[in-house]
Amino acid sequence: MFAEDDIIKFHRRRVTIIAYIVTISFLVLVLRLWFLQIYKGETLHEYSVQNRLRKEVVRAPRGLIYSRNGQILVDNFPRFDAVVTRQFLKKRKKTIKRLSQILDISVKSIEKMIRKNSSQAKYIPITIKKNISSKEMALIETENSELPGVSVNAFISREYLHKEIGAHALGYISEISQEQLPKFRKRDKLDYRLGDFIGQFGIEEQWDRTLRGISGHEYVEVDALGRKNKYINTDNLFKGIEDQASIPGQSLKLTLDSDLQQAGYHALVGDEKNRAKFPNKVGSVVALDVKTGEILAMVSNPSFDPSQFSRGLSADYWSQLINDDNNPLRDRNIQEHYSPGSTFKPFTAIAALEEGVINEKSKIRCHGTFKLGRKVYHSWRKFGTEKVNIVDALMQSCNIFFYKVATELDIDVLAKYAKMFGLGSRSGISLPREVSGLIPTREWKMKRNGVDWQLGETLSCSIGQSYVLTSTLQLAIAYGAIANEGKVFKPIIVKEIIDRDGTVIEKRKAEVTREIKLKQSTWDLVKKGLYQVVNSPNGTAWWRRGFGLEMAGKTGTAQVVSSSADKIYDKCENKPYEQRHHGIFVGFAPFDNPRIAVASMVEHGCHGSSAAAPVVAAVINEYMEKYMPKEKRENEKKQTAQYRRYLAKRQQAEEAKKKEEQLEEDE
Amino acid sequence: MFADSIEYFKKYDYSFLGLALTIFVLGVLNLYSATHSNPSLEGIYKTQIFYFFISMMIGVIVSFINPKNLFRYSYIIYGFNIFLLILVLVLGKIGMGAQRWLVLGPFRLQPSELMKISTVLALARWFCKANPERGLVLKDLIFPSFIAFIPAILIIIQPDLGTGLLILLIYAVLVYYRKLHWKSITILAFIGLISGGVMYKYGLKEYQRKRIQTFINPYADAKGSGYNAIQSEIAIGSGRLFGKGYMKSSQGALAFLPENHTDFVFSIFNEEHGFIGALFLIVLYLILLLRFIWLSTAVLHFYESIVVIGLMSIFFWHTLVNMSMVMGLMPVVGLPLPFMSYGGSSLLTFGVVIGLATSISNSRNLF
Repeated sequence: MFAEDDIIKFHRRRVTIIAYIVTISFLVLVLRLWFLQIYKGETLHEYSVQNRLRKEVVRAPRGLIYSRNGQILVDNFPRFDAVVTRQFLKKRKKTIKRLSQILDISVKSIEKMIRKNSSQAKYIPITIKKNISSKEMALIETENSELPGVSVNAFISREYLHKEIGAHALGYISEISQEQLPKFRKRDKLDYRLGDFIGQFGIEEQWDRTLRGISGHEYVEVDALGRKNKYINTDNLFKGIEDQASIPGQSLKLTLDSDLQQAGYHALVGDEKNRAKFPNKVGSVVALDVKTGEILAMVSNPSFDPSQFSRGLSADYWSQLINDDNNPLRDRNIQEHYSPGSTFKPFTAIAALEEGVINEKSKIRCHGTFKLGRKVYHSWRKFGTEKVNIVDALMQSCNIFFYKVATELDIDVLAKYAKMFGLGSRSGISLPREVSGLIPTREWKMKRNGVDWQLGETLSCSIGQSYVLTSTLQLAIAYGAIANEGKVFKPIIVKEIIDRDGTVIEKRKAEVTREIKLKQSTWDLVKKGLYQVVNSPNGTAWWRRGFGLEMAGKTGTAQVVSSSADKIYDKCENKPYEQRHHGIFVGFAPFDNPRIAVASMVEHGCHGSSAAAPVVAAVINEYMEKYMPKEKRENEKKQTAQYRRYLAKRQQAEEAKKKEEQLEEDE
Repeated sequence: MFADSIEYFKKYDYSFLGLALTIFVLGVLNLYSATHSNPSLEGIYKTQIFYFFISMMIGVIVSFINPKNLFRYSYIIYGFNIFLLILVLVLGKIGMGAQRWLVLGPFRLQPSELMKISTVLALARWFCKANPERGLVLKDLIFPSFIAFIPAILIIIQPDLGTGLLILLIYAVLVYYRKLHWKSITILAFIGLISGGVMYKYGLKEYQRKRIQTFINPYADAKGSGYNAIQSEIAIGSGRLFGKGYMKSSQGALAFLPENHTDFVFSIFNEEHGFIGALFLIVLYLILLLRFIWLSTAVLHFYESIVVIGLMSIFFWHTLVNMSMVMGLMPVVGLPLPFMSYGGSSLLTFGVVIGLATSISNSRNLF
């Protein structure tokens, strides 16, 4: 065994070598320092004093957004700002005076703007005038040498060509905020900077990474006065330094049809000249292609002009938006949920038919009231009609029928069917902040209230009241699934991703999230009921059937506040605005071979038939005119003939009655 | 009793603490100059002073530890640190976030920082017992390689390539000190070259590869780190012999030089104090390193000798890599300059390093 210090001595030689290595490494550092500071010192000093190399970010042009027919919906336009950089602002008085002449702004207000930003670092440019004309720009550029510190900043303004129409779906871009900066840097692993514009809403937000592209940079030599001298070229220290071109963002082709969008929007906004007949409706409409799961139209009202956000939002416009009680910044198709009211009945009907609670022959008397224990449930009509089957019950929207059915349906069974159709859960459309809605179950109520489920609640749920909440988009998808007999889509709104040179990078197809298998008779009965709603003179939406649409659908009226028994039949229009019912209508067309499903909800619109159905009819009408004009003409002919027959029949009946009466009188 | 403690403090080795304090004073003055014009970094020097104070306190406490206890607990410290590294990885996976930190109330602990020291302790413990009377051959490296590579790999997958490789560099110094045969060194160097090539091709992330490419040709860089390298060279070069003077840096002040408070502090120092100033600073570092090396020959136990060489190498690699990178001799890797760069966890590491060296130095006379 060696002694410890012998061992240490044994390693001495290596220690010495380590000491040499350390010293020599540091000598190399000193040599390098000598090379940089003494040998090349003068050159590098020159660079640091006289010429400065500035790296400027070149923002990538953002991708455009097209409609399904290839029309441009969102475009980029170049705009120019006049800016002043304090660091280089020599001959201050003279410069500002000349600048005020060019821009037609008083010297005083320019001074004020500069002072307001005096706490910022000196090299940060201050915007004096936004969006200057080409003449102003030319003057500033030509007098460049006389105006040290003044320059023109080019930027790209994002313009939404259809303004308010479909603004919620398209969204907007605006400058990244101080709070977002660190969060988004972490989330996207991208080096965002203040001044970057990012998507903040709608497609612009959800598809930001696709649309934004990758920014590049270029190196600019800046002289002591901050003017760009020349781009880096040969024969200096930076020889060979490379700029990096930006990679433009990819464009999106949407599934939206701008004509349908227009039709839906105008139906909602109404006509300013004839408000009595065409009121401005607070609500939304969404249309779905039931064969492909593509969203054809998606409009919400009131809306906003997204272009304003990319130009730098004025404080006025912003406060106007956020102080509006109707909240124009909310997409009522996906970011809000409502009681579906009677539009929920088809799903109760499906559950009852499938579970054998009723069949096509079951008939129930449509009384005005229905008693369960001590509670009295009302139908929406005061006076009961005759005994009806399921088709007629849907047609007339008979509450009592569904109440009776509901007493034999467990809520969990009802929920199972409703959820099958995608109600009460997010559709998964690629748009931000979608709400899920709610389909209650026993378990849910236990968890939430700690109380057992009550049978009476099943009754209310069966007609789409109580806890049941759905979004307009969910209703469109669910009715789409009725129309196509079982396909529940995860809808898409972006159809294609297109490269800058026009090549299609990705074609997107909507996923079918569920294939519902039901008895054919169930489909037939429910669809027949929905057809009668619109096409039978006794149906609730007979007056909204349009011309040649072959539409099927269901009206719904959702109570906002539950009213006491004596007030239940008060005329809705006479109530205060906030207490009026929401009107809902969901439909699909054409009946024989459905292509499109449309849902509309009008807040405080009182009735589904009067408020929402015309909006749906307008969109379907536009669709038929555009995509199936031949069928529409045929349908129109058929409809006219049928109507004539109907009138003739009614006349005959009346005449027969008159004759009878006359006979009686004669007798 | 009282006389004893006076005796104690007379024999206490102040050289490490003193040198560290000297470098730190230069560092914090430089930090103030580098950040004073940047509003978002204002007051950062105060934080740095606070961190320094804390880490020196910890250093002093560490200096009272008897090296015998270090020896005894080497593996336990090492094992516990490995556990922390794994914990960071697991928690990071769950949180989907950064995987370097452990949050303990108000403190954020970076286990990879302390791992440098723990690895040195464990390796020293092994080497001082494994046939210290003869040189090493390749098969003697099997076990210690595990000691070094396990933490290195855990850190690299965090991912923190710089610190992971640093641990391997420290290992290399210790193996060399432990008299690995030249033949074995040649073989290992060969293997290292090949595996380095493979790593570069398959193991590196895109940005890491870019940094190496940037180093080879900084003027043709696409990502912008070449820009840092160029601006750093301009800053250093423009300092010339005597520098531009304190607080007169223009490259850094005008935001031409990014990260000038962390990795690039040395270039600001050079710009302001010139060749003379930089020489002074380099000599300070060199004295500190040679002091470590001298200590390794003066201790009574071989274990302590190895530990001191290990601690020296931690210090040495940080200084060398950071300075080389700033001067354009190496690709940009984020290693801080000891006691100059801003950052609490690096200060803490170097504080502990200084404390351990002092403790070992004291043990010659005191324990």
